[in-house]
Amino acid sequence: MKGFLVENGGVQSCIQDAGRRGFSDIGLTQSGAMDEMAFGYANFLVGNDFNTPSIEIALGGIALKAQSEMCIAICGATMHPKLNGHTIGLWQVHQLKKGDTLSFGFASEGQFAYLAVAGGFQTPHLYGSFSTSIKEGLGGIEGRKLKTGDQLPTSGARCPMDRRKLEKQFIPHYPEEITLRLVKGYQEAMFDASSQGTFFNSVYTFKGEGDRMGYRLSGEKVVPSATGILSEPICYGAVQIPSHGEPIVLLKERQTIGGYPKIGSVIAVDCFKLAQLKAGGRVRFKEVSLEEARATTLAFYRFFGQKGV
Amino acid sequence: MSRVYKIASESSVIVYFGSTIDPAISQEVQKSYLALKAEKCESFFEIIPSYASLMVSYDVMQFDFDGVCEKLETIIHHAEEITMNEPKIITIPTYYGVEVGLDLELLAKEKNLTVEEIIALHVKGMYSVYAIGFAPGFAYLGEIDERLATSRLASPRKAVPKGSVSIADRQTAVYPNQSPGGWKVLGRTPTAMFDASYDGLSLLHVGDQVRFESISKAEFLKLGGKL
Repeated sequence: MKGFLVENGGVQSCIQDAGRRGFSDIGLTQSGAMDEMAFGYANFLVGNDFNTPSIEIALGGIALKAQSEMCIAICGATMHPKLNGHTIGLWQVHQLKKGDTLSFGFASEGQFAYLAVAGGFQTPHLYGSFSTSIKEGLGGIEGRKLKTGDQLPTSGARCPMDRRKLEKQFIPHYPEEITLRLVKGYQEAMFDASSQGTFFNSVYTFKGEGDRMGYRLSGEKVVPSATGILSEPICYGAVQIPSHGEPIVLLKERQTIGGYPKIGSVIAVDCFKLAQLKAGGRVRFKEVSLEEARATTLAFYRFFGQKGV
Repeated sequence: MSRVYKIASESSVIVYFGSTIDPAISQEVQKSYLALKAEKCESFFEIIPSYASLMVSYDVMQFDFDGVCEKLETIIHHAEEITMNEPKIITIPTYYGVEVGLDLELLAKEKNLTVEEIIALHVKGMYSVYAIGFAPGFAYLGEIDERLATSRLASPRKAVPKGSVSIADRQTAVYPNQSPGGWKVLGRTPTAMFDASYDGLSLLHVGDQVRFESISKAEFLKLGGKL
């Protein structure tokens, strides 16, 4: 069989594409790659369409054995991948032969890396997506993270450019302090001027309290004027503030409906940056206009030749 | 009724039809939801209804905020003329034994009612599906008898068993799968709430009507229920 044999699943590795669309009305989460930028570059390098399933590797530790020739690229967090024991570079294409082993250390910069293979992984397509929703135990390989003995079939496609490398100026970095651009809206009126002042002038810390559903940030407390609202739909990037007063940024596996006040939403490309923030990292929020937010998101998806978000 | 359009993010808009749990408001949300679904607009990636609001995630290549609001308003305005079909009525068989009704005795004490009275009040109601969320197939049903209205558990359970029939505030719901949760559990159903074999994957859809039917332990087990 063509593809990979998983020799070690690592901390949490799973199959992801850009996510599941059109099922939120029955409660299915969006899911999809936590960092669509690194995901997009990995697919771009091996000549795939943007929305092609790849392996999302969280924190590292995964080990794979190639059972056929393959053409791969690894983008995202620095996890020091090794091919047959020799360190190989990120953000470039590598050719694998049958029997080659690929192993990963642990992330020293960023949290998520993406391993794309030319032609994509031939894993089950469920409810319009290849994505694994860990929370729901659905999609990907039996709805779970990868484990020893899993087979990940590939098509054996070739790369259009055998040695393609991402130019240096495009390679993203994952600093320890980031600024998230946010569009106000939603229940903004539930946060008075002083609360908003606190929110936009504080530095929050990500203590590692988070997963694919969302990241909780620690720091100055923000108090909404009401504690509960009637449950309503939640969008990607929404910043909700429960009664403990600390913001939670909702990400790919967020629940579809919730009842906490929201101050606004972080724009998509900055959610990708947040996903890569390591425990101990710092966050600031900055308000942007809706026009600027839309233009930024539009530019991102246009770059990858994707229709919309 | 007046509608308020608000920015949710750079690619989603939320429409408020009101701010309370009210059958008339909910019906307006449902009609709008049906009308938007029927439009089959590929640029609407998600259309999510809830109690008194509805969110649409849209393609930023096709729409800006003003453009999407205009389009939505045109569709929703005409939705008012929709006559809804008679709602589908779904019966959910439930075993209300104390071995699965984890909070029955607690609730009886809290409400100064007998366990039998609690079950009778829960079975008596006909509930509307107001929203689906939290987990795939988790339907928010309302409203339960005022005498049953209760707070969530002070300390939520790490694992509420699959099929648990539960209540919180004036709502009732069934946990489609084992999950953490703080609603008070009255019983358990053997019926699957979310299944690939269902048309639309979820047993319940917004606008359906639901009633619970009390069944014996033997019937529960016969229907595939697990203790």
